[in-house]
Amino acid sequence: MTLSKYFGLVDVQARMLLKADSAKYKLGILWWFLEPLLWVTVFYIVFNMILDSGRRSGDFIVFLATGKFAFIWFSKTVIQASGSIVSSEGLIGKIDTPKSLFPMSAIQQSLYRQSTVYIVLVFFLMLGGIMPDKAWVWMVPVLVVFYLMIVACGLIGACLVCILRDFQKIIPLFMTFLMFTSGLFWDPHQIASPAKTELLFTVNPLAFILDAHRQVLLYNTAPDLFHLVTIGLGSVVLVCLALLYMRRYSQYLALRVLT
Amino acid sequence: MADTDRKVMLELDDVSISFHTSKGTFDRGLHQVLRSVSFKLYENETLGIIGRNGVGKTTMLRIMAGILAPSSGRVIKHPGKAASLLTIGLGHKGDLSGRDNALLSAMLQGASKKEALGYLEDIKAFSELGDSFEEPVKTYSSGMKSRLGFTTALLTHVDVLLVDEILSVGDAEFRVKAEQAMKQRLSGEQTVVFVSHSDKQVSELCSRVIWIDKGRIAAAGDPDEVLEKYQESIRAAKRKKKA
Repeated sequence: MTLSKYFGLVDVQARMLLKADSAKYKLGILWWFLEPLLWVTVFYIVFNMILDSGRRSGDFIVFLATGKFAFIWFSKTVIQASGSIVSSEGLIGKIDTPKSLFPMSAIQQSLYRQSTVYIVLVFFLMLGGIMPDKAWVWMVPVLVVFYLMIVACGLIGACLVCILRDFQKIIPLFMTFLMFTSGLFWDPHQIASPAKTELLFTVNPLAFILDAHRQVLLYNTAPDLFHLVTIGLGSVVLVCLALLYMRRYSQYLALRVLT
Repeated sequence: MADTDRKVMLELDDVSISFHTSKGTFDRGLHQVLRSVSFKLYENETLGIIGRNGVGKTTMLRIMAGILAPSSGRVIKHPGKAASLLTIGLGHKGDLSGRDNALLSAMLQGASKKEALGYLEDIKAFSELGDSFEEPVKTYSSGMKSRLGFTTALLTHVDVLLVDEILSVGDAEFRVKAEQAMKQRLSGEQTVVFVSHSDKQVSELCSRVIWIDKGRIAAAGDPDEVLEKYQESIRAAKRKKKA
């Protein structure tokens, strides 16, 4: 399969997945906007109305929403991409196609979807009094690196689930673990020892990326570029290794799926 | 024409394949599907494969299509020639229209988006789906689904066509049309491997037949001779059961 055909197919598959998904629900495509809006509503109810902590609660909702919207992209995509090869069992038994096609289509699908989530986020930030700034240009490298990280994790997850189905149980659990350890509800910079914060960012790239979102969008500061590039390069290496593995062991993966 | 003069499109050399099957937690068995199967597939021939259910016919096609790798032995392909399974309904998505499904199937079988878009009107016409072509596939009857699948598969082009039980699609009228289209395809310059349970189809369409039994080649050669042996074994098995 040539590269242009491969990417053409990934694109069409992703669009079809979106189309099928929105055809399933009455509100269809509106759900792309409704889902993030509902999250914001939930945060508002919990943190502004129930846990009203005075003047700072508004800031906290903005802080939370920024992290949550980014985190949803990661967790949803990786879970979906991980299950994508085994759920295409019917197709895999019939054609010899690159196995990476399935996770890549799932990743592409959520990329298209996530664009609306970021639009909602920008409106929400503006509603909270945070206006777009020149520094927001830093979001471009942050998002590129984040995307590469998602591709790497999605491809590796898909291989793991193929080899051992039990990973389909483990991966969502791991996402919950990540939700608590990536500074979604708390600010990593408020950890008492800066060395610990540094350690967290090193060990958990997702915590660094979520923090980078906030640094750029909320405080108009550039992220730690060296750290960002390191994560980007690491992801590229993992993506290449995963793709090579899927290419080399395509028939083995098919056998694992079919039997 | 002597076999030695003809171009070999695909060769299976001493191919065996076995699967691990899991019967329960930590309990695994080994299921031997094919044992030392060897044969050659020549250019432009129509090779029939017969045998009872579960003897490894589909697995053999999957090995020939490159979907699965043999546990031992070799699959030798003619360089630059692709073998592909002709399959009905490549994972139809119920929420998408017949048109979208056809586009996706054609692209999955190797067409570029532009080529695939070009096939769509032909697919609509041949499948006789009419306005239903724009409706979600989940509203289709099973006959309509197989019409869509058969047509999409038929209109894409490959060097070696592997056909798994395909001519039992749709109602009587469509079946005649499907068989004719298939025959037309077979009579042209097309190498075909054909799995079927219909003796009539096999003796009509195939120039050579291989009978697979218990994962081995039980007989190979002239269609009528092999079919006769196959039928005899079935009759023998029935007699044994009765006795």
